[in-house]
Amino acid sequence: MRLSRDHGALYPHLAFTVDETLVSCFYALLQQGVMVRCRTGCSVAAFLKDELKAGEETIEKIQSIILDGKPVDDLEAAWIKDGSTLALSAAMPGLVGATLRRGGAYSSFRSAITYHETKEAYEPEDGVVKIKIFNLLMSGLGRDLLKGGVMVPAGAIRNFLEERSYDFWQGCRQILLDSAPIALGALRDPAWLSGKDQIILSVIAA
Amino acid sequence: MDKILRIDVGAESGPKATKVPVGEYAGLGGRALTSAIISKEVPPLCHPLGGENKLVIAPGLLSGSAGSMSGRISVGCKSPLTGGIKESNSGGQPSQVLARLGYNAIVLEGKPKSNDLYKVFINKDGVKITVDNSLKMLPNYDLVAKMKSEYGDKISCISIGPAGEMKMGAASIAFTDMELRPTRHAGRGGVGAVMGSKNIKVIVLDDTGMQIRAPKDPQKFQDANKRFVNGLKSHPVTGQGLPAYGTNVLTNILNEVGGYPTYNFKQGRFDGASKISGETQAETETKRGGLATHGCHRGCVIQCSGVYHDKDGHYLTKQPEYETVWAHGGNCGISDLDKIAMLDFLDDNYGIDTIEMGATIAVAMEAGLAKFGDADAAIQLVHEVGKGSHLGRILGNGAAMTGRAFGVERVPVVKGQAMPAYDPRAVQGIGVTYATSPMGADHTAGYAVAQNVLKVGGDVNALKPEGQVEISRNLQIATAAIDSTGMCLFIAFAVLDQPDTFQALLDMLSAFYGISMTGDGVTDLGKKVLKMERDFNKAAGFTPQHDRLPSYFKTEKFAPHNVTFGVTDEDLDKVFNW
Ligand code: SF4
Repeated sequence: MRLSRDHGALYPHLAFTVDETLVSCFYALLQQGVMVRCRTGCSVAAFLKDELKAGEETIEKIQSIILDGKPVDDLEAAWIKDGSTLALSAAMPGLVGATLRRGGAYSSFRSAITYHETKEAYEPEDGVVKIKIFNLLMSGLGRDLLKGGVMVPAGAIRNFLEERSYDFWQGCRQILLDSAPIALGALRDPAWLSGKDQIILSVIAA
Repeated sequence: MDKILRIDVGAESGPKATKVPVGEYAGLGGRALTSAIISKEVPPLCHPLGGENKLVIAPGLLSGSAGSMSGRISVGCKSPLTGGIKESNSGGQPSQVLARLGYNAIVLEGKPKSNDLYKVFINKDGVKITVDNSLKMLPNYDLVAKMKSEYGDKISCISIGPAGEMKMGAASIAFTDMELRPTRHAGRGGVGAVMGSKNIKVIVLDDTGMQIRAPKDPQKFQDANKRFVNGLKSHPVTGQGLPAYGTNVLTNILNEVGGYPTYNFKQGRFDGASKISGETQAETETKRGGLATHGCHRGCVIQCSGVYHDKDGHYLTKQPEYETVWAHGGNCGISDLDKIAMLDFLDDNYGIDTIEMGATIAVAMEAGLAKFGDADAAIQLVHEVGKGSHLGRILGNGAAMTGRAFGVERVPVVKGQAMPAYDPRAVQGIGVTYATSPMGADHTAGYAVAQNVLKVGGDVNALKPEGQVEISRNLQIATAAIDSTGMCLFIAFAVLDQPDTFQALLDMLSAFYGISMTGDGVTDLGKKVLKMERDFNKAAGFTPQHDRLPSYFKTEKFAPHNVTFGVTDEDLDKVFNW
């Protein structure tokens, strides 16, 4: 498959085609964080729209945005930089869930950790951003991200493959490593990952 | 509902039940009723485990009706853990059943004359109290199985496990769920110890032959209930987030913002968070044939709960809630969901509050009794509590007692009760509630309806830091009111954002009782409840100095944001100025 995002040819590309019901198995990686190579030096609002291709409805659904560990209130006034970590969540329960909502009525409750930008703007540049996608956003935004291809630390992939059950492997229709089929035995043998720090992972439903 | 069942456990020939008219307590339910009875009838300076203390169990105002979400039940007493007034509430079936049997409350009072243990059976024909010493030290699951074999499967149970019998400060009271399992607990404040001090092991309820409670205006009630349900279903939190993942959906995001207390409140991030998150939990439950979406009682449309199966697909416990997964998980450095689920089961079985127990184990780990992350050691410590060994007796009396016994400074308690799963240095507003709630550190104390809906105390500029005190006050007032209706607090998310849904709730109450309930009325009720509770605590010896977080929250920087708790004592003292 062709990646919708240019990750360069730096890392091996592992492409899964799996039964529809198995796509959610990969959401565990989205919770831990995946990396994308992209244009940085833009606002969170622009990043969501231009880089993650999130439409109005999706952006509305993203109620908590955490940039480098800090809740963001104003999407236009928080900037994505090379090396940033951006976590996205739908509306969360509880007072604390409400507290962490962007621009919510209880934002003062967490004023000690709220995101405040130190500069007015940043120069656009190519970079790598870590993205974490949680809860109700995983099946939409997260799934699209996996389809387009993401960078995942080799250790995380190794753990992920080790933890898969028989049922998972039964539901894998095709697994390609750099466009060539790879046998299950070879894939589960961590040898192919040795010396690699990242791999590019893409996942589509059969 | 027109009567109170008073059981005098100190009567000459064993506990004696008397039905009395609800009288001066008419119109009150849930927390409003428990706190009214405790503040009027219990001497504030009494010993919590003595004959002067009372245990009040009260369904909500709409419990037993066809109203959705109306099945929470409140338990009130003077708390053996905090030394102040306590309302602890729970889901499960008993609230609906007790209300249909016509009782506004059950009050256990007096001091037992012997060491005999009793069971109470209540049905349409009346109340039967029987001595049954074969129940001594039975864990909750075994106890309920025994009651089922005796009384059939149409019952629901209110019970204590061994921790309650041993009068431990962390002892809970269990309420059975729809599957007749003792999975729902009034956990906080040691209410189980007070039931234990009355020598009542279990209250078995059977509402066979009783009718659903009828509203004064059935048509209006039905219409309001429909609007209320639609409001809950259309809101992203109550209609999607909670049903899909339960409350544990908070783990990832709390961890991400660095507000997830880890290793006994040492830091705000836990490396294993994604392994124990609500997302992972739901995926695990579904894969193993459990349930990721389930109600704790009939009539719940949100269904934030679930059923957790072990690796072999057998029932292990109900879906552990966020606070439980945090307390036994990240706070103890444990990232194995199966072990956490086992700890949840053991807590339910022995009858212990999961928050207090998790916080206690973390303090014990800090003291060197076990290593952080050692799940098997944590399980062993809970067994010690269930057995009542000397160590177990210390642990079962909570984090404060354990900290004192083992010389630990970092003990996250307020008024003797362990803090739940949100660090007050990262989310300082919740620290205001932890510090000032009459209940001790309690996340649900300031949880509910938005001040911009209720306008409690006028408009507040929430973006200013000083808004934290006002908001905490308003939330505590609103929560006290919601707790008095018997509605599940999780309705708050929909009510918070959707004034129509709040109006539907008011309309339900109005149509049911033939009154005109307004937002102001709800506010006044909340204030009245809080005032009663504060007055009780004052008379019990509480001063403004008790409304404080432990001092290390002001001095120890909390990573990753390196923040300390910055709300001043002067501001904390303003919370109850209205
Ligand atoms: S939302 Fe959850 S806690 Fe509330 S009544 Fe339903 S299952 Fe019980």
